[in-house]
Amino acid sequence: MAHRKENKKQLVARCNRKVTNSSARLRVLAEFPFGESGEQVTRYALGNGLTILILVDRQAPVLSYHTWYRVGSKHEKPGKTGLAHLFEHLMFNETKHVPRGQLDRLIESAGGETNAATWVDWTHYQSELPASELPLIVRLEADRMQHLVLRKPQVESEKEVVANERRFRVEDDIEGEVSELIYATAFKRHPYRWPTIGWMQDIESFTPEDCAEFYKTYYAPNNATLVITGDVDEAETLQLIQRHYGKIPKARIPRFRAENEPPQRSERSLELQRPTPAAKLALAYRAPSFRDADYPALALASEVLFGGRSSRLFSRLVRDEELATDLHGSLAPFADAGLYEIWVSLRPGRDLPTVLKLIEQELKRVCTHGVSRAELQKVKNRMELGFLQGMETAAGKAEQIGFFEVVYGDAAALFDRLNALRAVEPADVQRVAQKYFDARKRTSIAVVPQRGAAA
Amino acid sequence: MKNAAQNRRKPRRAQTPSERNPLAARSGEAKTSQQPVLLIESEHALPLVHVGLVLRTGSLHDPRGLEGLTRMTARMLRMGTKKLTAAEVEERIDSLGAQLSVSCAPSYVQLSGAVVAHNLEPYFQLLCELIQAPAFRAADLARAKRETIAELVGMVDDDRSLAARHFRGFTLGKHPYGRPVAGNTQTVRGITRDLVRAHHEKHFVRNNLIVSMSGDVNLERAQQLVAAHVQLPEGRVPKVEAPPTTMAKGRRLLIVDKPERTQTQIIVGTLGTHVLDPDHTALQVANVVFGGLFTSRLTHEVRSVRGLSYGASSNLGHDRERELWTMWTFPAAKDAYKCLELQLRLYDDWIKNGIKPSELKRAKDFLVKSHAFEIDTAQKRLDQRVEAELFGLSKDYFDGFVERVQNVTRKEANAALQKRLSRRDLAIVVVATAKELRKELSTLPGLDEVKVVPFDKV
Repeated sequence: MAHRKENKKQLVARCNRKVTNSSARLRVLAEFPFGESGEQVTRYALGNGLTILILVDRQAPVLSYHTWYRVGSKHEKPGKTGLAHLFEHLMFNETKHVPRGQLDRLIESAGGETNAATWVDWTHYQSELPASELPLIVRLEADRMQHLVLRKPQVESEKEVVANERRFRVEDDIEGEVSELIYATAFKRHPYRWPTIGWMQDIESFTPEDCAEFYKTYYAPNNATLVITGDVDEAETLQLIQRHYGKIPKARIPRFRAENEPPQRSERSLELQRPTPAAKLALAYRAPSFRDADYPALALASEVLFGGRSSRLFSRLVRDEELATDLHGSLAPFADAGLYEIWVSLRPGRDLPTVLKLIEQELKRVCTHGVSRAELQKVKNRMELGFLQGMETAAGKAEQIGFFEVVYGDAAALFDRLNALRAVEPADVQRVAQKYFDARKRTSIAVVPQRGAAA
Repeated sequence: MKNAAQNRRKPRRAQTPSERNPLAARSGEAKTSQQPVLLIESEHALPLVHVGLVLRTGSLHDPRGLEGLTRMTARMLRMGTKKLTAAEVEERIDSLGAQLSVSCAPSYVQLSGAVVAHNLEPYFQLLCELIQAPAFRAADLARAKRETIAELVGMVDDDRSLAARHFRGFTLGKHPYGRPVAGNTQTVRGITRDLVRAHHEKHFVRNNLIVSMSGDVNLERAQQLVAAHVQLPEGRVPKVEAPPTTMAKGRRLLIVDKPERTQTQIIVGTLGTHVLDPDHTALQVANVVFGGLFTSRLTHEVRSVRGLSYGASSNLGHDRERELWTMWTFPAAKDAYKCLELQLRLYDDWIKNGIKPSELKRAKDFLVKSHAFEIDTAQKRLDQRVEAELFGLSKDYFDGFVERVQNVTRKEANAALQKRLSRRDLAIVVVATAKELRKELSTLPGLDEVKVVPFDKV
């Protein structure tokens, strides 16, 4: 009861009262509103550099505990591609205190679920648990940040699992294969050119020593952000974090410097033959980074073209001209400049040049004539709905907060980005279309049916 | 962007019914004579409403030889009304800040979507117009048929879907549950405008409709909307013509032959339980032990110990009638025999020797404690209530789930395994390159039949 009106500084002072270890001492860095919900996000830091973001959300008696490490596939080296992802798998294996398989077992027995993901800029561990299980997850996450055990049999077994994942997502999946190839073709120097899952020969070659070196280099509190949302007590949460993470030393994290990508001056094209009944087409244009001011307008341009069944290209290619069965446009949410990808799966018997011509016509129409205010409002409405749907659960909120903190550099920018989308004008959409839909800087891959596979 | 973030594994929260929302004040329900059932779960944290219109009519109602008729009828709903063209329908949905999906399952057709709260009324009005006044224009039907056929042909690109599609037909034969919801190219071609109209007239009646809303809405508002916009004609709810589910005898293997496969997709299954069977919960608990969790026997042995497959899980299905129990893996082609032989061994051992006390405890702990995630959003709470309505479950079915789980004993779980799951009658479907694997897979223990079909015959 005595703590009811305590502000954040007082709360931090209380948490620090008996803490003598400087790396465990807590600071409050910022407080910001979580949209119009009336909820607040608070950013704290421990003396060892660990960032902590907490959003108390009493909607349900659950909690979401996410750990984001600022290491992804772009931090790897040629010949060691896929290490960040393989390592993510290994983080579920064994520590000095938790025997092999026990982490999953403890979380499942507590009624929780745990998962992880790796992409170009980050690695992300997430656990969803009943709110009463906070001490368990703090203990387990802190433990595997500092005490992971890497043995050869486990590394070998996990390499097999990842090789199978690669077969599933890439080797036997045409769209997966093409997406990988398009980045490998579009980028010549930047590490976005290799796939997050890694090249098969690299996956097969990893040793426990590679993994140990990676762990030592990147898994440290000053390279991590914790995001905790849900029905938690803030003081209890912070004290648990101090107790379990406070002794972990910070590390010297190598500064990431991507090689400058040389400008693309002409289109790069490839053709593949695969056992498929219908042709496919992938196009990729140069795109801005997620942090770039052009990003919101380009995202809306993509929505105009591909968002929903009333979008320009769905209407023409799927409904009116019956040329395609499936299509989508996607803008890479990357910290560095990525690609804007278009994917079209044609109807059997339809030809690629016709589809390409039609797509080019529609892109040119946005460049030349722009979009109407009504059409822009429509796609803004769609994006706003998607944004709201992402906020329905504690896990959804934690993911958005963490993503903005790690990729954008500031979780508070989450709602600024929503406002930036709302503020985009038709002229902005036309301007970014002209800037980015440049066929000279395009990469294209056509997939044609192998003889005998056509329907 | 197909190669998005690489997940360690997909979340696999057990697909089990669980307790209904205990916060009665948040939920509501209304039904008067000749009115649709109306189910509400209020949650005002976000200005968002999920809306569902569910008809108790699914592909089980497709006449033999016209598989895909119910799905085609559902698909035609968004292809235009008497007042709006297909393009205008889509324009309206997107302009409202809404989304809509129309789906068809064996037991139901569902229009489900979400809308920003201030546009709830025009959105609900539009959904009602779709089900009440579809145009069924000849040109639109012809287009929908061409689209469907193109999708059926294109589906063969996805090995997992290919395995699933073949599995049901191979396992259940001509039973309505074995027939493809989408039909095949031949049955789709046979669907006419008159058939669609007649099907709609027969099934889209007021008594056959469940209206559900969750989110930033309350019961009174929902009732007003239903009173103002639901104008389906009265009519009798058509009966489901589904005999007891059966499958062919013996241990049978089907290879779906596709060239250049470096990986296989494997589904193994047999008959499971009916959701109202007294031992259904006991079998659910036993299934969690076998393949319902990441640490379950199947995942542990196949993935964690041997690295044979990225995914390995088992599932106990439920529907109006007795559904299937299945297990799924996708090993590299070189490991397909090894993986499948291991799966069959684990399966035999599970049924023959049952589960251990420690395994029972862990499975029950998970099901009971994870219950919080079955009800953490209004939409999840509502989905349970819709399911109870659809499958004829008692209104307190979900209320009692946790207690039923807590009461399951090891003896009951093992008895359910022995009684319900057959060691002899098993269907095995493998998507693979037959010339590379047929010989080896044919030596799997206890096989009575081996069949090979081409992947592109749809």
